[in-house]
Amino acid sequence: MALGRRRGMGRYIDKRISSTFKIQITSMVDMFVILLVFLLKSYSTSPVQITPSDQLTLPASTSTKDPVDVLKLVVSKTGIFVDEKKIVELKDGVLAVGDVDVNDTQFIRALYTELDEQAKKTRMIASQNTELEFDGKVVMQAERSLPYDVLRKVMYTSMMAGYSDVKIAVMLKE
Amino acid sequence: MRSLKTRLDDSTFDLNLAPMLDIIVAIIPMLLLSVVFVEITVIDTPIPQAVEKAVAAANEKNKELVQMRLSVAPDKTVNINILDRGASKDYQVAPIKSAAGSAEADLDGLHERIMAIKKDYPDVFRMELNPSDAIPLSEIIGVMDTLRTTRAKNGQSVKVTFTDATTGKPIETNLLFPDIVFGNVAGG
Repeated sequence: MALGRRRGMGRYIDKRISSTFKIQITSMVDMFVILLVFLLKSYSTSPVQITPSDQLTLPASTSTKDPVDVLKLVVSKTGIFVDEKKIVELKDGVLAVGDVDVNDTQFIRALYTELDEQAKKTRMIASQNTELEFDGKVVMQAERSLPYDVLRKVMYTSMMAGYSDVKIAVMLKE
Repeated sequence: MRSLKTRLDDSTFDLNLAPMLDIIVAIIPMLLLSVVFVEITVIDTPIPQAVEKAVAAANEKNKELVQMRLSVAPDKTVNINILDRGASKDYQVAPIKSAAGSAEADLDGLHERIMAIKKDYPDVFRMELNPSDAIPLSEIIGVMDTLRTTRAKNGQSVKVTFTDATTGKPIETNLLFPDIVFGNVAGG
């Protein structure tokens, strides 16, 4: 009788010792796979990179044309940037009088100098590399609330520097 | 001889998901860093080049062509001018008042007008856009979207037909005026 009780206790202790439990991770893997598929779907390899900022909200459009990897021109409320380098200071989207040429009120001298430099650089590379050519393309990321007056000056100056094919970056409207 | 219990245990094996989980856990942070919830696209806006030869050639050619100009006035009134073989036609789309009381370009009215113009000029795809200095970019983009394509009606896409100049065959498209240029950039 006593032996029988010990056997029963022994079985109980054996069970307790061997109960190295396993976490049930199947449902967790299911969840991760769903998350992975969603993230892969929204993964972007777009050449146009936008850094979120209060000073730069792109306008929404129905255009579905893919962005191209060309020179980036950013016009925010605080300044005009060429490839992330600040060229001209803007105060709440307004150009200072001194930044505009006295003889040509559409012409932004500092922006022209930088764009001309970029154009020369691209032309020089194109002269060495036959696969590359200077096509005068520029992607303009501009704050949606900026008036056409500022954008017109930017486009005019870029045209003078040889960048006459301006592409306006927009957010895809659903 | 193996017992029935052992054979039953063999047939219900557990798949070891831990390595798979490790991989997924490594990939997810990387994807989370590069994920974009806003898709960026572009709108082409080539600026007409003032090249003497080209201007002379275009002037000669444009005698037989149609030129369309759309201007947005500071009060958001949209004016469309069509120069059809020397004859000028003008259309106007009045702005609407928003709930806040501010004036907004009547994009629905503009679209109706543009559809009517497209029926008369199915082979013209170029429109010159001349916004006023005070018009914000978002409204210019709104006008450009209205000009570019037809709008779906009751879930059905609306198509316009034009004749292919090379083959002479009719072609259906949802494009209205996709070739939009800013006409007043170069001091226009």
